[in-house]
Amino acid sequence: MISIIQTYYKMLLMAMGNTLLLTLLSLIMAMVIGLIFALCNVGHSRFFRMIGTVYVDAIRGVPLIVLAFFIYFGIPQGIKMLGYEFRLTPLQAGIVALAMNCGAYMAEIFRAGIESIDHGQMEAARSLGMSYARAMYRVVLPQAFRVMIPSIINQFIITLKDTSILSVIGFPELTNTGRTITGNTFRSLETWTIVGFMYLVVIILLSKSAKVLERRLKHGRK
Amino acid sequence: MAENKPIIHVEHISKQFGVHTVLRDISLDVMPGEVVVVIGPSGSGKSTFLRCLNQLEKVNSGRIRVNGFEISDPNTDINQARRHIGMVFQHFNLFQNMTVLRNITVTPVDLKIMGKEEADELALRLLNRVGLGDRGNAYPDQLSGGQKQRVAIARALAMAPMVMLFDEPTSALDPEMVNEVLEVMKELSNSGITMVVVTHEMGFAREVADRVIFMDDGIILEQGTAEEVLDHPKSSRTRDFLGKVL
Repeated sequence: MISIIQTYYKMLLMAMGNTLLLTLLSLIMAMVIGLIFALCNVGHSRFFRMIGTVYVDAIRGVPLIVLAFFIYFGIPQGIKMLGYEFRLTPLQAGIVALAMNCGAYMAEIFRAGIESIDHGQMEAARSLGMSYARAMYRVVLPQAFRVMIPSIINQFIITLKDTSILSVIGFPELTNTGRTITGNTFRSLETWTIVGFMYLVVIILLSKSAKVLERRLKHGRK
Repeated sequence: MAENKPIIHVEHISKQFGVHTVLRDISLDVMPGEVVVVIGPSGSGKSTFLRCLNQLEKVNSGRIRVNGFEISDPNTDINQARRHIGMVFQHFNLFQNMTVLRNITVTPVDLKIMGKEEADELALRLLNRVGLGDRGNAYPDQLSGGQKQRVAIARALAMAPMVMLFDEPTSALDPEMVNEVLEVMKELSNSGITMVVVTHEMGFAREVADRVIFMDDGIILEQGTAEEVLDHPKSSRTRDFLGKVL
């Protein structure tokens, strides 16, 4: 075990960095996607509600690995058939796949958060002359966000773990790197113990600091 | 606006929720400065009627004009119209994520009606007027119900409304807090602002109302001065209702 760490620690740390990068970028995109489709779902327009529902149901109905294959292999081939050259790097495809996947779950978290805020808040803001968008942004979303924090962090952790699925498209994140190392050394037990432990440490650190943040937001004021 | 032209003009409005008819062909004119108190049993449509006046509820037919704005016309800029129609809710609906001061200033500043400093000054003045000059930095959940409702009134006043709508403003309050809110409303009624108040406070109606309206089952059954409606009701439904609440 020591020898693997000594030989591969740079590679492992880099892989951890890649995992975090992938998680962070797709989460940011997922928040945007989630907010857009959540707003579709809580709005009054039947058309937008339908778009929101279709997106959430479609994405939740497809396994992430299939989505990743579709985006990384399928879409470039489709575009090629139209006569254009188009390639995605594994990182780009991975981010898009994760963001779309996580975005659907975020949309549900946002929707539930928005719906948990008393409708009187929106009415009061509208009665003063604020537009729907401004009332949402000023009054409803800040309150909803506070309610949503635990669920968002939970989703954060799920997405971090889901990055391992993207090892299949060849992005050198942690799991993919684990496969490379076992391929070189044939020492599965030690390698996967180390890789598992690395995920564990990051996720525990993350959920602990999330707890602190959550407590602070609950007691202190923005 | 000429003194003899109604500031609120309601013409044959009807409102249904699904198959349930809440308002049936209601017409009403309110003159500038008038204080109208609407009473009636629950489910009579009085709150819905009030909420139609600033289009929190849309009417199914009929016409509403408030302060020169055609409220029921879909082409009207409703946000612009609502600026001059203040509303106070039964459950206060203060913005939970903001301080008392910010509750009052956020809308005028956001809508570029005034700068931040001017808004802060105005908010402080209004808070003093409702007796809460020292609570500007508190959050709504640190206030009592009566204090919340007084802040809600100050928040509405910050938009310099021509008309104030009150939707059962004291119904959610503990009994000992009702008076502090009614006092503020009485003071307001002397300032010349037009008020429409849905309430069960008959004492307030007697003391402040220029006109009392009794609504039942989606229509205005009776109206007149407080003395006429409360002391000498013409219809048996009004007598029944008053017998239960007085």
